[in-house]
Amino acid sequence: MNTLTVPASGATAPSRSRRRGDLATDAVVVVAVVAVLVVGLSTDRFVSYANLKAILTSASLVGIAALGLTLIMVGGAAVSLAISQTVAASGMVFLSAQSLGLVPALVLAVVCGAVVTGLQGAVVGFAAANPVVLTIAASFAITGVATGLTGGTSVSPSGTGYDVLNATPGGVPLCVFVLLALTAVVEWVLRRTGFGRSLYLGGENRRAARAAGLPVGRTTTVAWLGAGSLFAVTAAFTAAFNTAANVNLGGTLTFDAIAAVLAGGTPISGGRGSAVRTLAGAVLIAAVSDILLLRGYSTGVQIMVKGVIVLLVVVLVHLRSKGRAS
Amino acid sequence: MTSHPLGRPAVLLPLTAFGVTLVAFVLVPTYSDATIGSFDVYNTLQIFARLGPLALALGLTMIAGEFDLSVVGTYALGGMLTVQLGQEHVAHGVLAAVGAGAAIGLAQGCLIAGLRLPSMPVTLATYIALLGLTSALSGGLTKTYANVDVILWVDQTVLTWFSPRSLITLALFALAALVLAATRWGRELRAIGGDRRASRVAGVAVGPLLVGTFVASGVIAGLGGSLLSLSLGSANPDPGVQPLILAAAAALLGGVSLAGGRGSAVGLLGGILAVALLAEIATVTALPAYVTQLFYAGLLGIIVVVDAPDLHSALVRLRADLGPGNARVPAHPARNPHV
Amino acid sequence: MTVASTSARTGHELVRVDGLVKSFGSTRAVRGASFGIEAGEIHALCGHNGAGKSTVVKMLSGQEDPDGGEISIGGEVVDLRSRQAAQRAGVALVDQELSVVPSLSVAENLMLGDARTGWLNRARRSRRRFRALLDSVGLTHVALDRPLSSLGIGERQLVEIARALGQDARLLILDEPTATLSDVESEYVYASVRKVAATGCAILFVSHRLGEVLALCDRVTVMRDGAVVATAAADGLTVDSLIEQMLGEAPSRLDRTRAGRSGDVVLSVTGLSVPGRVHDFSISLRAGQVYAVAGQLGSGASDVLRALAGLVPAATGVVEVDGRRVRTGRPTVASAAGIAFVSNDRKTEGLFLDKPIGWNLLATRLPTLTRLGVVSRARWSRSVAELLGVCAIEPHRARDAVGSLSGGNQQKVFVGRCLHRDDVRVLLLDDPTRGVDVGGRAAIHDLLRSAATDGLAVLFSSTELEELLDLADVVVTMHKGDVVRTHVGDTAGSVLLREITHGGHDPHDPRDPHDRGVGAPAKELLS
Repeated sequence: MNTLTVPASGATAPSRSRRRGDLATDAVVVVAVVAVLVVGLSTDRFVSYANLKAILTSASLVGIAALGLTLIMVGGAAVSLAISQTVAASGMVFLSAQSLGLVPALVLAVVCGAVVTGLQGAVVGFAAANPVVLTIAASFAITGVATGLTGGTSVSPSGTGYDVLNATPGGVPLCVFVLLALTAVVEWVLRRTGFGRSLYLGGENRRAARAAGLPVGRTTTVAWLGAGSLFAVTAAFTAAFNTAANVNLGGTLTFDAIAAVLAGGTPISGGRGSAVRTLAGAVLIAAVSDILLLRGYSTGVQIMVKGVIVLLVVVLVHLRSKGRAS
Repeated sequence: MTSHPLGRPAVLLPLTAFGVTLVAFVLVPTYSDATIGSFDVYNTLQIFARLGPLALALGLTMIAGEFDLSVVGTYALGGMLTVQLGQEHVAHGVLAAVGAGAAIGLAQGCLIAGLRLPSMPVTLATYIALLGLTSALSGGLTKTYANVDVILWVDQTVLTWFSPRSLITLALFALAALVLAATRWGRELRAIGGDRRASRVAGVAVGPLLVGTFVASGVIAGLGGSLLSLSLGSANPDPGVQPLILAAAAALLGGVSLAGGRGSAVGLLGGILAVALLAEIATVTALPAYVTQLFYAGLLGIIVVVDAPDLHSALVRLRADLGPGNARVPAHPARNPHV
Repeated sequence: MTVASTSARTGHELVRVDGLVKSFGSTRAVRGASFGIEAGEIHALCGHNGAGKSTVVKMLSGQEDPDGGEISIGGEVVDLRSRQAAQRAGVALVDQELSVVPSLSVAENLMLGDARTGWLNRARRSRRRFRALLDSVGLTHVALDRPLSSLGIGERQLVEIARALGQDARLLILDEPTATLSDVESEYVYASVRKVAATGCAILFVSHRLGEVLALCDRVTVMRDGAVVATAAADGLTVDSLIEQMLGEAPSRLDRTRAGRSGDVVLSVTGLSVPGRVHDFSISLRAGQVYAVAGQLGSGASDVLRALAGLVPAATGVVEVDGRRVRTGRPTVASAAGIAFVSNDRKTEGLFLDKPIGWNLLATRLPTLTRLGVVSRARWSRSVAELLGVCAIEPHRARDAVGSLSGGNQQKVFVGRCLHRDDVRVLLLDDPTRGVDVGGRAAIHDLLRSAATDGLAVLFSSTELEELLDLADVVVTMHKGDVVRTHVGDTAGSVLLREITHGGHDPHDPRDPHDRGVGAPAKELLS
């Protein structure tokens, strides 16, 4: 069909527009962080090494899974609603394989998460399936198989190697170091590799990427494989901490991870976002919850404020990108 | 491509899902020791009354091409408000729940329609915020409802199979069916879900329609939560994600498409009844939970694969490869790839 | 067919457009359009692409707010701020783009957006009226309850026309209503439009098919460069005089002097067909030559290019690059075989608007810039600098979002990303200067010529005569899915335009002089 030949909009935007646009997104995060800091500094016991550790620790497990979701969202597939279930399944694999030793168990868990998630990615990437419905189906399938295999009981560790993951070198939990390291790795992959660039391109505009001859299906599948591996890392730490794993191991992780990615200013429409932003989003939510906790607010208020933060960031990011487009 | 009504997914899906589960339900005595009585029908309808409003609220927004994740938040808040404000007069509680639902829907609808925001992140944020608000209102505790008369009334057996609660839910579906099938609003709702640009060009007032849909979704979810807490005699601040996932599965089985534009209230009824029957069968026959879950996974898997746009073009390509000149023009020249 | 004798003109001016002005950014799309339409009159609006017709239609139908000027209907000035307002004022529209909803039934589409329908469906009461409407556009075989998605594209278009016909409007606008219709289907539309005109409705008919314009319409308003050039009675016009008014000067001729540096055959296409769109298209492209497929919307010209780029799953036929067979229907395969494609839809199927200019320039050559999957920064910035030079865009803008460029510069980036690549043999461009201003157009033409000089075979589609004459060494004209003729020799622009607008000859146009002395029959040249 012929589209209307509307003359190209004036578009004489100044050459600094892109950098200014990106600055605006970052400014949102910065202003929010400053506001949090101001309130935080005026909060008793906020500025202390112990509290900083607490914030990072509470951000770390959600943060690692959110890094995986970042890959999915940058690739344009909106969300996965099967994160909790994938984490539960990988956690079970991890604990039941403890008799093989820590490293083989970790590898098996990662393979489990990567295969389960990568399969979904292939269907999304090659057939353009709706990721929301697909991941809902996957969440049923994973829980069903896991329940069927375990008979609905908790899996206990078959060895003690997992305890290494509960280590606190220098008083900081291992998972905090892992979160920081993985953030660096994911950021590097997204920024510096050909895969990362095709992921951004395909995520922004699938049709254009296809017309340009980019391998959209393969790139999407690889992104989901990576996401599954990251979910499995979260799973290993969560299972090690709980020393048991059942189908509810993932808890509310699905929505917590989505909230962290969105709070980092990554739009759900794809093609934008970064690992560092997701880290910022996860830390922001953890820090705000921490402040509210220190100031004596209930869990309910903490959750409510988390929702409001996500809503504000979503609206602000959207307004900014719309302002730039017109 | 077929024009026969039975070939359309909006009819075929709920009919199959409901048909299969109904046969399985009726035949329960033949493959297990359990028997089926009128109480099991009553129970099925009670499950229907619990999940039905959620499926309906979610389904309406899906038909319009949006996705309202916040329904479970509204559901939880509605239940809590009913318990806390309706201790003396139950009407106050129900009105508060419905009013809160309307206000939430109005706010979300204005944001989404006014700023042309994607609905998923907005409603997800609202969902989280509402769960927090509900938890804050109750101090994180389950609140009990003391008015025993009301509790007994909503679940009393009416006409052997029904209760006031399931009848109210059925009435909601009947009302939705009437609106969707017999009013301009219903037609335009499916139109904006099917092709928003074309609807706008044709003269449909898209913005007000979207706001109205979100308000309806909020009201139905709030009322559903209210009825649930009256039935349980308590309100739980966190219903978990299971109701949302089951409601979404019911809507999809009901023939509603996440791409929008497809679905009917009768189809939704079929979908949610299938879910309710399955739950009752699982209870009666002590079926392991994983069997039900795998069943849902299989059904949704088929739906998602059949609906995938590029799979369709792969089939067209295959047909073009096999028989030159035999291929027909694809039936879906343009599909919205986004949710 | 009877011509103007069926005119229902009343002499009473029902619609008046006075000094309409509209700009988009720095582009002045319409700079003062004034004309009147009488009750019962079928009034044509003609003009070349970009003349401002569509913008006038958008303002009349409530889709765009005019920057200045007035619209009055029945003597009263009306404010058409939205589609709803326009409908209340009695304006019905058949949009240029197909605007019916596939997921609704035929009857529901007929009711869609109709301001007169109440809140309750009264479909049953209206069934007889709907049936008559469908019959009047020739859809006698289509049941009211069929889902629209089960209909073909032409039938859907007829449903949209039926919807507008049934709105009892005071002003009925039809924007290229017959572009996707067959001759038989078009006949039904003409008859229905005449019938509606006879009821005293004013009709604005926008079309590229000049034969049908002259046969159907009472008067013709011609627009050029955003302004109304003339309004004249159709009786006194011929296709040629109309073309002359649209172009503003005597049509130039296809210049042969550039041709001749052709190399080996690079792309050979035999029997390419797209069901319902293209019938049996064949062509051989030689390196160093610029080829054009010329045709209006619905002619199949655009579909040929899309099929060659692998974007039409249903396409069949033999496509060979350098003698090697390329499977159709797979964009990655076409791209790997050396076919680069520039879509006519820059926004949704072309550029990545939020991404930097540099990214967009390199999007199609990522594998050449990476080592072991890691992007080499040196090679990346070297390539960006080189291509920015090719596109003549300031180097310091490499990091700006491509969406911040003007339309012309965006298009340069779009074309530029296919250039200076060793692996590209054929460059396909679908309407490469759509929505591009004069300066940008010249720059893009230069890019295409230099691409041919560098040894590429270039094939573009266009609806613009000037562009065809300026740029192409060989022009293939298409009409309704068939090749009309291939022009390698000296050809007058008016001959091309005639073939594009109504094929080899036009059965509707009694005034068609049947001038077919130029050019050779298509099949002979192509096989």
